[in-house]
Amino acid sequence: MIKKILKVLQKDFKTSRRDFMAAYIIMAPILIAIAIAVFTPGLNDTTVNLAMLESDDAAHIEYMEQFAKVEVFESVEDMEARVEKRDDIAALVPAGDSYEIVVQGNEPEAVPGYTKVLEALYQLGATKEETTAELMSFGHTVPPLKTMFVNMMISMTVMLAGMLIAISIVEEKTENTINAVNVTPLTQTGFVIGKSLFGGLTALAGIVIGLFITGYGDINWIMIILVGLSSMILSLVVGFIQGLTSDDLMEAASNVKMLFLPIAGSIAGYELLADKWQWTMYWSPFYWSYKANLLILSKTADWPTVLLCTGMVIALSLVVYFLARPKIREGLS
Amino acid sequence: MISVKNLSHLYNKEGKPAVNNISFEVEKGETFGFLGPSGAGKSTTQGVLTGLLKLQKGEVNVAGYDVSHVQNKRFNKIGVSFEQSNVYGKLTAKENLEFYAKLFDVETRDAQELIDLVGLSGKENVRAGEFSKGMKHRLTFARSMINNPELWFLDEPTTGLDPAIAATIKDIINAQKAKGTTAFLTTHNMYIADELCDRVAFIIDGEIKLIDTPKNLKLKYGQKLVDVEYLEGGKTKKETFKTIDEADRNKLAEVIKKHDIQTMHTKEATLEEIFIQVTGRGLV
Ligand SMILES: Nc1ncnc2c1ncn2[C@@H]1O[C@H](COP(=O)(O)OP(=O)(O)O)[C@@H](O)[C@H]1O
Ligand SMILES: [Mg+2]
Repeated sequence: MIKKILKVLQKDFKTSRRDFMAAYIIMAPILIAIAIAVFTPGLNDTTVNLAMLESDDAAHIEYMEQFAKVEVFESVEDMEARVEKRDDIAALVPAGDSYEIVVQGNEPEAVPGYTKVLEALYQLGATKEETTAELMSFGHTVPPLKTMFVNMMISMTVMLAGMLIAISIVEEKTENTINAVNVTPLTQTGFVIGKSLFGGLTALAGIVIGLFITGYGDINWIMIILVGLSSMILSLVVGFIQGLTSDDLMEAASNVKMLFLPIAGSIAGYELLADKWQWTMYWSPFYWSYKANLLILSKTADWPTVLLCTGMVIALSLVVYFLARPKIREGLS
Repeated sequence: MISVKNLSHLYNKEGKPAVNNISFEVEKGETFGFLGPSGAGKSTTQGVLTGLLKLQKGEVNVAGYDVSHVQNKRFNKIGVSFEQSNVYGKLTAKENLEFYAKLFDVETRDAQELIDLVGLSGKENVRAGEFSKGMKHRLTFARSMINNPELWFLDEPTTGLDPAIAATIKDIINAQKAKGTTAFLTTHNMYIADELCDRVAFIIDGEIKLIDTPKNLKLKYGQKLVDVEYLEGGKTKKETFKTIDEADRNKLAEVIKKHDIQTMHTKEATLEEIFIQVTGRGLV
């Protein structure tokens, strides 16, 4: 059975490479990743950016460099000009005995907060060894823009898995090859698994390549793959349903695009809703996977949280799957 | 090999049945033909027998398996050729066959050998999407043989093919037959039914009107036709009389008495003429 499933997988890879739309969908996450890498340089940090004066104490600068990305400037004006730029950076401006923290104003609170803590630690003479744990836990409250973009790319790619499946099923239907396969020893379940692997692995490869391109090669891969695969369940189910109910490629692909709404809604919900309203998004598997991915990307994820999120994703997706199963079975025969 | 009892099939609950209470048996090694015009219910029957359509009513046993219980491994013994060709347009002829072969658990035939057999030599690396309708049909036909089936379903195997290629297909079917393959063949072409089938069922409007060997049918209905050409008012007239029909016999006697006969011979009816006699309808 496994051999046959792999044959279906291989066949789908082959046909999709020869299909303009499928090939384009496969390339999409990579293109998005390149765009992110090109247009959001310097947003890669999981800690804050600090602007400091050249004339500052060398030991001070060195100390800060352990925890933050430090850029050195000749004058206060240069520093302020730098702060005005788009990304999140805080300037440490000497003011008499102490320092003032200058920020643009649109940074997350954590940026000046983190800077304040660093400065306090320096004043107290804390060493890196003693303080690492504490500082890291501050790190994750800094949501760099780039991590958010990359996380969105992952969500998109998961949706593309569904589109690929939908396209490949519509093709099997229009060419009626599905009937030819139905009179072989390959079971329906085998056929469904083969197709799912095709969509799933393609999307997973897109995610992995995209993460390398955007510079996230050093994250916990087991976690990201686990979350990636579980969040694909729903996309695959939707892909199957759309593939089976649509009669042409464009229709199928655009129906799968409808997934974009709950995905975008979940991301917006996670990013914008106040903590006390977060529960309103708990119904969405995309919410849980976005949350888990964000933690993994910022390297602050722990296994219990990741497993909780994965569990929620799987449970919610399975509910949809079991509701849709009769329809899938009917459509395949 | 096949046993069908009281099979009926409806596509829409309100409509009339596409297949209506048919029963027949196919012996091992036999080539059994379903002859009937388009829309008679031939493909529907094949669909139920191959499990592509769900059995609604009746008992159907195919190659030792009850079709109401899905068991995919039975397809190791079965080959199916479709009326509408269905191959992957994005795969080459060879890739199509090689992919399909891998889905079986039994020994399969070489893809190239089958491609050559159906006259597609040289086209093995061309994508099926670029094939003509007839070429796709031949590839679909070739594919149905890939697992050396004991039982072979052939839905209109020669329809739409040019005569030379149709002859090749007929030869292939005959060769398989000689090897002992059992075949269920549907066609609206009386020559195919006549040449290839051991027994033929006449099917029309979802009902089987009779089942017999082509030879018996001709013995029963065939020799009782008389073709006469005679002169009437300076013109040659041509008429066919049934010798079993009282009125026809009298008319024939009349013609012989009154007119100058030019030619006259009894003739063997074609299956189509017999079909018309039995069902009152033609094969188109
Ligand atoms: N998928 C279908 N849905 C509804 N009616 C169908 C379908 N397929 C066939 N029919 C109808 O069932 C009858 C038998 O069709 P079919 O079995 O294809 O005949 P044949 O193969 O003898 O030409 C026809 O009246 C046809 O219109
Ligand atoms: Mg038909």
